[in-house]
Amino acid sequence: MINLAAVLSQSFAPAELPAAVRAVLGKPLRRAAPLTQLALVGALACLPAERRALPTALLWQSTSGPRLETLTLLDEVCAGSAEPMPYDFLATQPAIAAAQIQSFLPGLQTAMHLPLDREGVANWSLLLSLAIVWLNEGRCAQVLCAQLDHAIDVASGHWLALSRAPLENSPASLQLAKGAASESLPDTPDLPARLAKWLAGNGSPTLSLHSPVAMKLTVEFTRL
Amino acid sequence: MTRPVYIAKTALLCARGNSPAAVASALWNGECSAGQRKLGERAFPYFGLPLDEHDWMVRTEQAIRQVAGQLGKLPPETPLFVASSSFQIGHFEQLGAPFELPFAAASFSRQIGDWLGLSGARTSFSNACTSGFSALDAARSLIAAGLIDDAIVLGVELANDSTLAGFAAMELLSRTAGRPFDARRDGLVLGEAVAAVHLSAKPATWRIAGLRTGLDGFSTTGPNPDGSRIADVTVDCLKEAILKAADIELIKLQAAGSPGTDLAEANALRSVFGQHMPLLLSLKPGLGHTLGASGLAELAVLLACLDADKIPATAGFSKVDPEIALFPMVERSTEHIERALLNLIGFGGGLASLIVERHG
Repeated sequence: MINLAAVLSQSFAPAELPAAVRAVLGKPLRRAAPLTQLALVGALACLPAERRALPTALLWQSTSGPRLETLTLLDEVCAGSAEPMPYDFLATQPAIAAAQIQSFLPGLQTAMHLPLDREGVANWSLLLSLAIVWLNEGRCAQVLCAQLDHAIDVASGHWLALSRAPLENSPASLQLAKGAASESLPDTPDLPARLAKWLAGNGSPTLSLHSPVAMKLTVEFTRL
Repeated sequence: MTRPVYIAKTALLCARGNSPAAVASALWNGECSAGQRKLGERAFPYFGLPLDEHDWMVRTEQAIRQVAGQLGKLPPETPLFVASSSFQIGHFEQLGAPFELPFAAASFSRQIGDWLGLSGARTSFSNACTSGFSALDAARSLIAAGLIDDAIVLGVELANDSTLAGFAAMELLSRTAGRPFDARRDGLVLGEAVAAVHLSAKPATWRIAGLRTGLDGFSTTGPNPDGSRIADVTVDCLKEAILKAADIELIKLQAAGSPGTDLAEANALRSVFGQHMPLLLSLKPGLGHTLGASGLAELAVLLACLDADKIPATAGFSKVDPEIALFPMVERSTEHIERALLNLIGFGGGLASLIVERHG
């Protein structure tokens, strides 16, 4: 059985992100793109200090990706006469986010970034399925699953943390199921916020997440 | 449920040819010439696809359809896993400002699915140079767990100035050639590729015995020179495969001719394999570094080489670097290989090791 360790949704005005990072680290994170800053504040909020050295995988999806940074790079490359500033190119590489936060999460062993191909539809069912498979295999002790996006007016992070070991205050367990439970959620970017509402209510004991685009994957949450 | 995952088929279009077998044959014959790509006043060697079309999107459709043809007819519902570090940025460069990027970062994967005739589930991966093995890892995890039976994993990396300019700005590119592990190595040579791997639960010649990805946050552009994180991933991969280091007969190196990354990889290999170093091969001097497609492209080529029992020599290596003190194969070999390890060490801290093993 896999345990839900944390459910978190965050939203920032882009100008507030550096301050959120400083509040967490006590110092700024230099040369970090907004997606990296979102990854840092979300991951540290999900994992208490005593769990940050445990073997951890990060699976994160994004609709926007580094869209604004890519526009900046295109302007530099296509309109400018010189090569881009190295940081402007690095900011377009989402994979770097995990490398930049590893020193604050020493247990972070691997990371995958999954850009999404449609607005309004996410792939939590795949992220959670992979997390459950890897945790059951013993590949890691915990998996952070996230949806990170930033646009001109808002930067948002939605997170679910999963643990192989039983936790004292885990609100739910997860498993892969063949059929859908009576109550189900759509696979949308804000799934953690919807899940938090279900956990706070007194509805059905189980809830399933079935993705119409993600194969025959159904993830079932059971209240604990 | 855990079941074996097999490589049912591979497909490839790159600078060296339009099928894995054709590319393997070209490398066996020592072909390694590169073209050139200009960036302002500077020109860099570049391994471009052998396609004359200039319209980026039309050319890309041609490339994807060639690879689709090699894969043969597939059930349209076959899940598709797309790996790329740049997707269609070259298309927007060609269209020019104002750049109307779609809001969904991987929207191009929908077009790729259409060209492949695949209308089922689609997932995209963008982890710089390790994108291909990340996608492969996700697909094979789902097959092994019995959640899907087949998957097409496609790596796409096509010409664009943004990537070339970014790498050039960081002084990561060679102006002459890629020289893996060589004392004179001075950087990477980039290239294009479209590569596909059909994974299946049905038995085939090659099985994925182990696959592990990792992360090295030493710096955003290269691994810790001591190679310790790379070695950790390789050891994890051997453990998953239930193999000893001595069971590996050949290593397809990451080595692209990068001063720092080559050294880190060499240090990792020494710590894992010690005095019993397997045959070492780098394919990048003949293909270029095809970034997000590189893992799948090099896997396709390597399996074609091993199927023919014809392992090419590593081009570009002639002068030993005393700090590295490892020797890629400089002579061709007809040795029969049962198990091979493939390494990827990515820009942005990504690491991956894959072990393939003959089945039956």
